[in-house]
Amino acid sequence: MSRDMRRSFSTRDELVAYLAQEFPAAAQISSHVASVRGGRSQAEQRLSEARLRDYASTRSYLDGAVTRLSPFIRYGVLSLDEVRNHALAAAHNPGEVEKFINELAWRDYWQRIYAEIGEAIWEDIEPYKTGFPASEYANELPEDISSGTTGVRFIDDFCHELATTGYLHNHARMWLAAYVVHWRRVRWQAGARWFLQHLLDGDPASNNLSWQWVASTFSHKPYYYNLENVVRYTGTRYQGNPRDFGHEAFEGSYDEIARRLFPRIDLSETDRERPRAPHKGRKP
Amino acid sequence: MKIVVWVHADNLSPQQPALLRQPGAPAIFVWDDALLAEWKISLKRIVFIYECLLELPVVIRRGDVVQEVCDFAREHQASQILTAASPSSRHRAYCRAVAAQMPAGSRLEVLRERPFVSVRKAPDLKRFSRYWGAVRAVAMQPGSNWD
Repeated sequence: MSRDMRRSFSTRDELVAYLAQEFPAAAQISSHVASVRGGRSQAEQRLSEARLRDYASTRSYLDGAVTRLSPFIRYGVLSLDEVRNHALAAAHNPGEVEKFINELAWRDYWQRIYAEIGEAIWEDIEPYKTGFPASEYANELPEDISSGTTGVRFIDDFCHELATTGYLHNHARMWLAAYVVHWRRVRWQAGARWFLQHLLDGDPASNNLSWQWVASTFSHKPYYYNLENVVRYTGTRYQGNPRDFGHEAFEGSYDEIARRLFPRIDLSETDRERPRAPHKGRKP
Repeated sequence: MKIVVWVHADNLSPQQPALLRQPGAPAIFVWDDALLAEWKISLKRIVFIYECLLELPVVIRRGDVVQEVCDFAREHQASQILTAASPSSRHRAYCRAVAAQMPAGSRLEVLRERPFVSVRKAPDLKRFSRYWGAVRAVAMQPGSNWD
């Protein structure tokens, strides 16, 4: 009997059924399938449709002009070189796409570190700068997070989106990661493993180092946010009384949030979320 | 000299360097059972990768990567295996193991694709700002120019 796996399918459903049978453990983790399809032809179509000149001004909004090229870049279906060249060719002047190219550079940066440190990418690169040692963080992801039943509406929405679509907007990744590490005090490795199970673009370099940036084990300070920030970038989804959404823990100024999350240290005004965030890097 | 191509999940472009170097050569992709057991990725990721593979001229197998690649090379009586470079330490370890199992006189060649930036002095990776400061001028130019 041939050891070769099948290459011919009449429909996508047939392909999915075949793979669910061949990889039952993967189907057991989550049997959802993303709407985006893999392959070079899909990648080229996405690249040609990308609104790169709108990217810089809208990318932080959940409905902004993000490209969703990251799964194709992650598997090398598109190279950073060719995406950058496409962006420059599509721009009237290079400055229009500098922010986009800067985000491509984040992926190159993460990859270079990965090539240098290898599996140490799973270890804290630096100590936490939260006032808590690593030993005070839980090792496992709480079940209410993986199942999206925390009672915090925007967090639960993102948990479900991650599991069902394999995609999260970068800002949502940051909010979710900071929630896991800082609000729930769980080690970033648990969250990183969870993201890698689901994200179509999941790769250990971008994923783990971004989690480390949020956690503060690869940055000068922890990343955190408040409800005002979430509401601002999510359109009308979470406008209304925070108590109706279970959002009370995110109410308050950045200073108030910092005092609650990191009572042992003093984070100055400059520690609040900045307009551009390094975490963005791996997912232009 | 017979040549086979070993495709891995860090480079699934039909324009990746190993496929470009030897168009029409027998090519293989191996689902890494050890990695799947370790990472426990969900079905949607497998479907996406598989759809990428269906656009490539590769035989798809699963199991022990090193063993499958070596078996494939033997089946085709190949004395050379081409593969694309990867930053993954796992891939580098597999390359070393494949090379060690190949018969005398045959070889594994790891090919690099065009880099995002090429700079003469290795950039400081301590923080992104330092890296970007070192590569920005090159990154904002088309192609992979040297600084």
